[in-house]
Amino acid sequence: MVVETITDGGVLYGLLAVGAGLATGLAGIGAGVGEQGIGAAVVGVVAEEPGFLGKGLFLMLLPETLIIFGLAVSLILMFAWTPFA
Amino acid sequence: MLRPVEMCRVVVAGSNKVIEPVIEKLHELNLLHVVNYSGADQSFEMGKPLGTASGYAEQLIKLRSIERYLDISDKMPDKQFPESQVLSQMDGILGSVGEDVIATAERIAEIDNEVKIKQDQAKALKPLAGLPVDLELLYGYKSLAAFVGTAASPVEADVSKVSYVNEVFTASSGGANSVAVFVPVDKASEVSAVLSEHGFSEISVPRGLTGSVAGAVSTLESDSKRLEGEKAPLQKKLKDIRAQHEDLILAIDEHLSIKSQKAESPLRFASTENAFVIDGWLPTDQYETLKRELDGAAGGRIQIEKLDGSEADKLVEAGEDIPTKMNNPGIVRPYELITRLFAIPEYKEFDPTLLIFIFFPLMFGLILGDVAYGVISLIVMFMLKRKFRTPGWQSLINIVIIASIWAIIFGLVFGEIFGPLGLWDYIFSGAHHTGLLGTVADPHHVGTDFGAGFYGPLGRIGPEIGGFAGAMFPMYRLATASVLVLIGVSIFIGVVHTGIGSILGVKTELAYGEKRHAYFERLPVLLFQVFFGLGLLGLIAGGLSHPLVLLSALVIVVSIVMMVKGPEGVMGATHIPFFVSNLISYLRLLAIGLASVGVAFAANQLAFYVLMPMLSGGSHEFTTIAIVVGIVVLIMVHFINLLLGILSPFMHPLRLHYVEMFTKFYSQHGGGVEYSPFGRVRRFLRD
Repeated sequence: MVVETITDGGVLYGLLAVGAGLATGLAGIGAGVGEQGIGAAVVGVVAEEPGFLGKGLFLMLLPETLIIFGLAVSLILMFAWTPFA
Repeated sequence: MLRPVEMCRVVVAGSNKVIEPVIEKLHELNLLHVVNYSGADQSFEMGKPLGTASGYAEQLIKLRSIERYLDISDKMPDKQFPESQVLSQMDGILGSVGEDVIATAERIAEIDNEVKIKQDQAKALKPLAGLPVDLELLYGYKSLAAFVGTAASPVEADVSKVSYVNEVFTASSGGANSVAVFVPVDKASEVSAVLSEHGFSEISVPRGLTGSVAGAVSTLESDSKRLEGEKAPLQKKLKDIRAQHEDLILAIDEHLSIKSQKAESPLRFASTENAFVIDGWLPTDQYETLKRELDGAAGGRIQIEKLDGSEADKLVEAGEDIPTKMNNPGIVRPYELITRLFAIPEYKEFDPTLLIFIFFPLMFGLILGDVAYGVISLIVMFMLKRKFRTPGWQSLINIVIIASIWAIIFGLVFGEIFGPLGLWDYIFSGAHHTGLLGTVADPHHVGTDFGAGFYGPLGRIGPEIGGFAGAMFPMYRLATASVLVLIGVSIFIGVVHTGIGSILGVKTELAYGEKRHAYFERLPVLLFQVFFGLGLLGLIAGGLSHPLVLLSALVIVVSIVMMVKGPEGVMGATHIPFFVSNLISYLRLLAIGLASVGVAFAANQLAFYVLMPMLSGGSHEFTTIAIVVGIVVLIMVHFINLLLGILSPFMHPLRLHYVEMFTKFYSQHGGGVEYSPFGRVRRFLRD
C-alpha cells in the first residue's frame, strides 16, 4: 500500500511541496525575528538623527536576504530537482 | 558624470576697508564653499561680525516667534516680493501685526490653561456631587480633621468605633460612594487607618469654590464652555493673518536671513587688524568668473589666488575636506536623492547616481511589471507632482515616474494588465487563459508532470510564431519556464550590477593609492562573482564537465588565493559566503514580482472563475449582481496589491544598491561633505 503510493509519486510530490513551503516560511520567520530588533533600533536612531535613515535602511534590510535563501531552496525543490526524470 | 565636479582651492585676501563689498559680491555669486578659519595660525584671529549683525539677529528672532505662533513653516513660494516692498512692510509686520499676533496667541494659551484647570477641577469634584455639604465647609478647620473622598464600603460604623465624636456624610453617584468624614484632630491617624481598610481614596477639594458641589461642577463646566467659545474667533483671527501675510513673512524671513548671514560671515574668515583672508573651494571652471567679479567689486584692493595641486593636497592631508558637487544631467538628478540618503560621495570617489538611474528603474520595472499598475502609478505621481512641490518630494516623484515607465514596458513583456488572466487576455486574445486554467482544473495532472511545474511541461508559452513553439511572448511570470528564465535574468543582473561595483571599487582604491586593497581585495571579488555566475551558466548548460564550469572553478580558486594573500589575510576568504549571498540576493527581483503577480492572479481567479460564475448560478452569462460583486472584489484586492506593489519594488532595489553594490566601492572612507557655497538662492525675493 505504502509502496504503491510512493511509486505513484503523489506523496513524495506532496512532501516536497511541504518542504518547499517550510523552507520559505521558516526563513521568513527567521528574517522577521532578525529584523525586529534592528528595526526598533533604527527607528530610535532616526528619531535622534534623521541623517541616519539611509544607513538604517541598509542595516534593516540586511536580514531580508535570509528569506531569499529560503525561496531559492523552494524553487530548487519545486522546479529544478527532478527525482522522477 | 560618474565623477563630482572638479574643485580648486582659492584664497581671497584684502583690506578690511573693502570687506563689505567683497561679502556682498561673494554672496551674490553663490560660488565659494568657504572653509571656516580654525584659529590655528598665530598671526591671524577670527574675524568680527559686521556691526549690523546683532540688529538683524534680533529682528529675525522676533519674526521667527511670530512664524511659530502663526504656524508658518517653509514652503514653496506662491508669490514673490521685490526687496523694496519687503523693506517697507517689514516694520509693520514686526511691529503692530506681530504684537497683535503675539497677544492673541498668548490669550489663546491662557484660555487653554484656564479651561484645563476648570476641567480638572470638575472631574475631581464629580464623584462628590451628591454630598449634602457645601464646598467651603469641606476644608479649613483647626480642631477638626476632614477626610473627603471615595470609599469602597460603608465607613460610618467603624469610624464611630475609634472616634466617638464624628460627623459622616455619604452619597453615591455614578457607581462611586463618596464620603466626607469629620473627626477631632487627635483621632485623625486612627481614623485614617480605619478608612484605608475601607478602600478610601482621598480627593483634594479645590479651594476657592463655594456652594453645593453639584452647582460648582455645573458652573465649572459652563465656564470652560464659554472660554472655548471665546477661543474660536481668536484662532480664526490668527488664521486670517496667516492667510494674508504668509508669503510676505517668509520673504521677510529670507531677507533678514540673508542680511544676517552676510553680517556674521566674517566669523568664518581669518583676519588681522587691517586685512581679511577667506579660504574656500569652488568649481575650477568658475575660478575666472570669481576672480573677475571680486576684483571689480573691491576696486583692485584684493588678492585672489588659486593654490596649485600639491599645496591643496597638503591641506587635504591636514584634514580639510574637499566639498563634493555631484555632476549629473537633469534627468538623472532626481536619483541623487537615493545617493544622498546613503552618503554624499567623497571628492575622490565615484558618484553612483548615474548607475542608480540605469539600474533602479529597471529593477523596479522588472518587479512591478504590469501595464495597468504602471499607468496608475504614473497618473498618481503626476497628480502628486502638483501638490508636493518641495525639491525632495519632486525628486522622489520623478524617480517613481521614470520607474513606472519601466514597469509598463515590463508589463508588456509579461503580458500583464491587472495581473495574469486580467485585461490582457480580453484585449489581445480570448484563448490564452483557457490553456492556463485547463491545468488548474485538472490538478491530478500535476503529479505525473512533476518537475515541470504547475502549469504544464513547458510552462505558459505564448502564441506560436512561425511554428516556433518556444516563443516566450507574452511570458506569463507564474509559468515554470518563465520562473526559470527570470532566475537566470536576476542572477545575470546581479553579476553585472555587482561587477560594475567591483570595477569602480578597484578604481577608487587606486585613486586613494591603495594598490594592495585594489588588486587583492576588490579584484578577486570581481573575478569570484563573475565566474561564479558563468559557472552556474555552464552547470545548467552542460553539467559538471562543461568547459565553462572547469574554467570558472579555476578562476574562483585563483580569486580565493588572491583574497588570502590580500591585506586581511585568511580573514579575507571568510567573506566568500557574503559574495555568494550577494548574487543570490538578486533573486528578489524575481521573488517579489512573483508575490505580487500571485495576488493579482488570485484576485482575477477569484472574481472571474469562482465568485462570478457562482453568483450567476454556474452559467457563464454573468448576472448584474455577479458583475458588481466581482468588480468590487477586483478593485479592493488590486488596490491593496498596488499599494504593496509600489512600496516593495522601491525598497528592494534600494537595498540591492545599498548592500550589494555600494559595499563594493562606495563610502568606504566615510562619506563626503556637500558643496554648499556662501550665498543663498532667493525664493521669495525678486529683484
